[in-house]
Amino acid sequence: MKIVTIKTPDQVIIPLQQHDGAVCDSLVSVGDIVSVGQLIGDGEFRIHSSVSGEVTAVSELPHPTGKDVLSVVIKTHNGEKSEIEPVELSAGKIRRIIRESGIVEPNGHPTLRTKEDIDTIIVNGTNTWDLSSHEALMLDHPSEIVYGLKALMETVGAKKAFIIIELGSEALHVMRTETIPDSNIKVIATPGYYPPGTENTLAKKFAKKKVPRGSIPEDRGVLVSSIAAMKAIYDALCDGEPMIKKVVTVAGAVGSPRNVLVDIGVPISHVIKECGGCSGTPVKIIVNGAISGAAQYSDEVPVIKTTTGILVQTESGIEREAPAPCINCAWCVDECPIGLMPHLLYGYADSAQFDKCAELYIGDCVECGMCAYVCPSKLPIVQIIRYGKHGVAEMEASE
Amino acid sequence: MTYTISPLPHVKSNESVKRVMWGTVAALLPITIAAIYLFGLPALTIILVTVITAVVTEIVIYKAASQPITISDGNAVLIGLLLALIMPPEVPIWVPIIGAAFAIAVPKYIFGGTGTFVFHPALVGFAFLLAAWPTLMGSGSTPNLGSFSNLLIETGAGRLVEASPVLVLLGGAFVLYKKYVDRRVALSATILLLLLMPIVGMGSQLPYVLTGGYFLGLIFLAADPITSPVTKKGRLVYGTVLVLLILIQLHFDAYFTGMCFAVLLMNVFSPFIDRTTIPKPIGGK
Repeated sequence: MKIVTIKTPDQVIIPLQQHDGAVCDSLVSVGDIVSVGQLIGDGEFRIHSSVSGEVTAVSELPHPTGKDVLSVVIKTHNGEKSEIEPVELSAGKIRRIIRESGIVEPNGHPTLRTKEDIDTIIVNGTNTWDLSSHEALMLDHPSEIVYGLKALMETVGAKKAFIIIELGSEALHVMRTETIPDSNIKVIATPGYYPPGTENTLAKKFAKKKVPRGSIPEDRGVLVSSIAAMKAIYDALCDGEPMIKKVVTVAGAVGSPRNVLVDIGVPISHVIKECGGCSGTPVKIIVNGAISGAAQYSDEVPVIKTTTGILVQTESGIEREAPAPCINCAWCVDECPIGLMPHLLYGYADSAQFDKCAELYIGDCVECGMCAYVCPSKLPIVQIIRYGKHGVAEMEASE
Repeated sequence: MTYTISPLPHVKSNESVKRVMWGTVAALLPITIAAIYLFGLPALTIILVTVITAVVTEIVIYKAASQPITISDGNAVLIGLLLALIMPPEVPIWVPIIGAAFAIAVPKYIFGGTGTFVFHPALVGFAFLLAAWPTLMGSGSTPNLGSFSNLLIETGAGRLVEASPVLVLLGGAFVLYKKYVDRRVALSATILLLLLMPIVGMGSQLPYVLTGGYFLGLIFLAADPITSPVTKKGRLVYGTVLVLLILIQLHFDAYFTGMCFAVLLMNVFSPFIDRTTIPKPIGGK
């Protein structure tokens, strides 16, 4: 299924925090006229305007993470956009362009965050059933993705790269065909899904580099990136377009579920409307997937750089089964991508034994939700682990 | 417009404790039918009476203790069925009744009910009966060892479950595929046992292992999720030590009971194995 481009709405909300880090400083104020690709937020990170129009507000507004974040509201000029002109490209510039384009991985980190020497690049292209944006990108833009990957490899000096795709995906064949001429790029089929936050697991599994706890893969010469970032690099290098668009999977109770290309800052209510609207009364709106995503208070939150999917659930799709006792089936242990003991963490956190939680490395949990998804007892494992993390933090603060 | 908020995940898999337990019961149906076919009315009576006693005991105890009745999770039915299947067909009918009541009351209820018991209730019930009435619990005949044609229908079966090794394996394959029992325990134990038998010079004992009793023991009893360890390494250790215990028992010719006591003994070590094999998360130290 082709990626459909969503019409730009009358107004976009661009949060000045779209990555793991401090909120950017606003470079615009109310009344300013901005154009597509103009820098509007700067700081440790860069945020660009995705539309041309007039700034109508700079204020704290709802954000997909649940907080209110300083955001720039832009009223678009007749919903039209001016085209961006490609910049002149020279080899030495690539690193700077990638940095200045504000490319963010789905886990919230910038793609290039260190200057370390990189030996291997791992591109995560795995999807869950309700998040197929990576697959859609690979099917629609295989050559652009490989172009982006090669540019990144050249820039960081990587000798080889792996593209990780789950078994049975149509993209597997497409990407294998696309990478035939490149002996140093290998497409690997894997049975599992790797949610954001499992970069160290990917580095260990595919690059065979053990990343010590608390370190990042770059410290061991491995750069873990994503299909979305490869496409963004291509856009930045060839079209001169910073990261102002995102491919998002719209799934669940909507008229026509599909993958759509959305401008950053478009409210998700508009995206849902453009996909045929909700079928039935929406009860829950989830950003970034049914397993690892966050339920939203409001459908006025915008699509940001880390958004990968929007899922609409009606009453019938909502899980309300009462939990049963744990039966030690160990499915959570088998499933945990970090190698933790989720059922023990659940038990200790539930009985407020936070010292035991700390001993069992509760802080390493990336809250991907796989344990609670497979749990036959329907235990709210992630919820209790969050409580446990909070308890551990309080315990450590009082010491 | 207000929306529902909840922590992730927002969908859960179709599996549930009920499906795990009832699925395991369903996997035991082929061998149950084969046992009734081979032994006739006595087998049917033993199976019905044992299961009903287990269920009634659970209802009575949980009612008396004013706790929510948990019959629908299928655990009591499973315990009753497993206990019935390891009975000899000639056993007087009051024996499995006492066994099933004991299995639910002591090893299950006193140890906290579904999910928390330490010893497999069906095996504790079996051990209790064996200690109390050893003459009644011995099987009247032993499987026709050495003849592989008996894998389908074992005419020399001395216990209900020995009626057909192939049908036990069939049910076992289903629960292993669905992960209703622990794959690591069941597979490590079965493979290691088959490999070690000829090597340690007990080749003549090998056919003992190819009986329904052994397959039931290794797949349905030893690999039971509640009583087996949880850590990945621990489950392999559990299966391995279990096989060593079974080999020792076989050396002294304790045929079926040897395996039961080996599993019960391993149940004791299960929490200890768990505690000593807690894994380091990815990245170590």
